[in-house]
Amino acid sequence: MAAPNSEQRKACWDARDLLWRCLDDNSDRMQPCQLFQGDFEAKCPAQWVKYFTKRRDFLKYKEKMETEGFTPAKGPQMKINGIHPEVAVQFV
Amino acid sequence: MRVAAKADGSVLISREPSAMLGVRRILRGGGGVLLCLHRTAQYLYPSGPERVLARSLSRTPYSSRAALKLRTRLGVTVLVGAGFLGAWWWVEQEKQQLRRRQRVEQLRTVALGQGTFSLVDHTGRRRTKQDFLGRWVLLYFGFTHCPDICPDELDKLSAVVSALDRDPDLPRLQPLFITVDPERDDVSALARYVRDFHPRLVGLTGTPEEVQHAGRDFRVYASAGPKDEDGDYIVDHSVLLYLVSPDGLFLDYYNRTKSPEQVADSIRNHIRNHVPL
Repeated sequence: MAAPNSEQRKACWDARDLLWRCLDDNSDRMQPCQLFQGDFEAKCPAQWVKYFTKRRDFLKYKEKMETEGFTPAKGPQMKINGIHPEVAVQFV
Repeated sequence: MRVAAKADGSVLISREPSAMLGVRRILRGGGGVLLCLHRTAQYLYPSGPERVLARSLSRTPYSSRAALKLRTRLGVTVLVGAGFLGAWWWVEQEKQQLRRRQRVEQLRTVALGQGTFSLVDHTGRRRTKQDFLGRWVLLYFGFTHCPDICPDELDKLSAVVSALDRDPDLPRLQPLFITVDPERDDVSALARYVRDFHPRLVGLTGTPEEVQHAGRDFRVYASAGPKDEDGDYIVDHSVLLYLVSPDGLFLDYYNRTKSPEQVADSIRNHIRNHVPL
């Protein structure tokens, strides 16, 4: 299976751009964009469809991080039975 | 010229060597300048009894003498300020030069691209690293089934080489494309691919061992992803443009954030400052 040439690449990228614009206009609902999705899958190799779908998910996630912020995960807590750690050390 | 009377009554006329004449003239001139400065200083800053005398005998009114003092002080301040600015600018230039030299040293210790490679180009001809010595090389590792990154980077590479081609004083760069996917990218696949970019772009491929050897030389990361039903897969790889000097030494690298203009400017700088080994 030969790699896509310059025209095929451009056709795939244009189809992807149309799909993404449709998704942006319809707040990421797939229902109204089925035609664009079909066109995108026809014009691009399967691996590229997977790649660009993942890429869009990543870009959306990044946008969410930048606008909504995030809470960092809590690290391990240093507490033993409610006693202060320094006091909890006992020499037997 | 010196005239002296000798013991036997005759007169000796001798000429001083011209160097001594020059020195004497300089000393006389310097002495004159010093005297002038001394007199000026005495006039401007009279001391002791001269001060009272100077004030009473002085014909310039107090306000204009103050203005003269102010002008002099202003002039001196501006000169000193200009001197500081000049010194600062010179130090900045030296610092930049040092930083550039340090970066080259750092890249040299990292010692990428030290080895040799032996690959086949997109016309089927075998090429080794020796073939490219004497040329400035701009190198990119990628693969032909790449969705968007490799075409973008190769477009950038072509734009950089075209921009530098427009300057007749610069040497012609050699753009190279080495595949990280030797299983699929054979000679004909490469020939089809490089056609879409700069006319001088040379694509290189070979056996998996040869390609791995070349990639390892530049510490390129490449990892083939899982195959789908068509046997298609994507190769994850580091995305960098490498600049290699005519001595075959790796000089610099440019990542995706660098625009074609930034890359071209950096290369122009390297070419200008290049000291052949």
